[in-house]
Amino acid sequence: MKTLFIGYGNPDRQDDGVAWHVLSGIAKKLGFETSDSWEDPLPSTSEIDFNFNLQLTPEIAEDLTAFDRICFVDAHTGKIPTNIQVVHISPEYQTSPFTHHLTPEMLLSMCASMYNKAPEAILISVRGYQFGFETELSSFTSSLVNEAVERAVGWLKKKNDLIYA
Amino acid sequence: MTQKITIEPVTRIEGHAKVTIHMKDDGSVEHAYLHINEFRGFEKFCEGRPYFEMPMITPRICGICPVSHHLAAAKAADELQGSPAPRTANLLRELMHMGQVIQSHGMHFFELSGPDLLLGFDADPAIRNVIGLAHTAPEIALKAVGLRRFGQEIIRTLGGRRIHPNFAVAGGVNKALQASERETIRAGIDSAMEAALLGVSIMKDWAQRNMEDINKFAVLKSGYMSIVNSDNSLNLYDGDIRLVDNQGKQLEKFPGSNYLDIIAEHVENWSYLKFPYYKKMSFPEGVYRVGPLGRMNAVDFIGTPIANEEHKLFKALSGGKPVEQTLYFHYARLIEIVFCIERVRELLDDPDILSTDILNTKKDYKGEGVGILEAPRGTLIHHYKADDTGKLTSVNLIVATGHNNWAMSESVDSVAKTYIVGGEVKEGMLNRVEAAVRAHDPCLSCSTHAVGQMPIQIEVLNSDGEVTQTISRD
Repeated sequence: MKTLFIGYGNPDRQDDGVAWHVLSGIAKKLGFETSDSWEDPLPSTSEIDFNFNLQLTPEIAEDLTAFDRICFVDAHTGKIPTNIQVVHISPEYQTSPFTHHLTPEMLLSMCASMYNKAPEAILISVRGYQFGFETELSSFTSSLVNEAVERAVGWLKKKNDLIYA
Repeated sequence: MTQKITIEPVTRIEGHAKVTIHMKDDGSVEHAYLHINEFRGFEKFCEGRPYFEMPMITPRICGICPVSHHLAAAKAADELQGSPAPRTANLLRELMHMGQVIQSHGMHFFELSGPDLLLGFDADPAIRNVIGLAHTAPEIALKAVGLRRFGQEIIRTLGGRRIHPNFAVAGGVNKALQASERETIRAGIDSAMEAALLGVSIMKDWAQRNMEDINKFAVLKSGYMSIVNSDNSLNLYDGDIRLVDNQGKQLEKFPGSNYLDIIAEHVENWSYLKFPYYKKMSFPEGVYRVGPLGRMNAVDFIGTPIANEEHKLFKALSGGKPVEQTLYFHYARLIEIVFCIERVRELLDDPDILSTDILNTKKDYKGEGVGILEAPRGTLIHHYKADDTGKLTSVNLIVATGHNNWAMSESVDSVAKTYIVGGEVKEGMLNRVEAAVRAHDPCLSCSTHAVGQMPIQIEVLNSDGEVTQTISRD
């Protein structure tokens, strides 16, 4: 059972890059060593892989086929009513004003259409407040990182418990 | 009662733009405008930074074409520092640039504009996108993804990652190519070429069936600009800049460092983006187009065999004169993908490509440098000045999208007037207006894309400024 944690956003635009902080936190929580820079590779093992991207792009669809379950992590701008939302997602057509900005659901749809694969997936969305030209998270978004990490790790452990029980 | 229709932002281009269409009482279009709303201020906040940081800073302008800024910045830094890059470093930089153009053009044709062509301008917008394409023609989508991956892997191999690479530095590059890496890239050439030629055949087939659309969709007279070799053949990485008029006659051929003598910029109060034009002619007579259409019209031939044969067919479309139809941007883009793949093969075959002579550490500090190249979307100019300590005192960036600002605005106006008639505004008509912008593949540099950040909103306003109709899609 291979799991991918994949985050996306722009760390040069403050809270848009919160996903990298969450991925780094998950990796640390699971006992991996991580770098302080988002530009360095994240841990990769035969069971768990971490991947951070500035944006989701079409070729990532093929990468996803190597995994059984996937946890996407992104920022949200308040359209979602809760600070942290964790939802199961499925392959789905979604209109996107900017096709280069693929959504996780669209990537899963490409996975299904082109490669006949449909990994199980969740999306963790963390509220962002400030999107200026800064690399530091805003204090409020920063305070949400730990909870997002706990929920991601909880999802992973719950899944493992079900599988290995 | 007159109406104003607003499309904001224009779908499937990089960044923020808005289109407003002002309608007359009889339901025809009075005028349509493309407004560029975003002001990034990159030039200003680069001032005070050391010049040698620019190859790492400027790629942050965009997540789509960072390599172009990375390489133009390095070329400007070479000149400012007085350290010409060794031949192998230039070969490797050009190789990375080919990867960038392949992935960017591949993304644009198959995933941004392809759905319009393959599924139709009037198709349901819910499926008129890359996912719809994946469902309708998965074999094409697979090849498209493979083509883009080929380009991305060249960038990753040289720069360590697909986006925002760390590779080119003042005076050269920081990593030599390994023989095993060369073979890995080589192994992908044939399938990449197969995908590119598939794109060419899709485009030509579509053009045959849609000639009426092509000939009434934003057909504009303008000049054309591109970097060329000394024999006026295509070069995307280095050379002089050639400017031709609307008959294809050469107006100027000049080194990039002289750009201020040749190009001036016009300002309109409805757009943040300036309108460059040929200085010796007034605005708008001196406007020109860049990017794939500009290049195919500004060069005499292409130095690689398959692309050159296709370029002959392209030139024949207008009897050897410049091709004016905006929709042929797509054909030109595909010819360039073919050229880039052929050029990748040539670069890998060059005996110097594996050399470790990749960095010139000798300096003859000039304090000023201009770096130019042909980014996927057109001629990119980086111009830096620095003080004696190396701190930047002046930064001027002229990006490809800026050169095409007039052409995009005129295209929007032309297409709106052609397709919106009788006051009835259907989604397919608005999509054609958007497609007029998309054909130029503008990059307005968004880089921020959190969930829910970029809805589409189309507002219809009457002459009193009241909103009479709102259409939005997330």
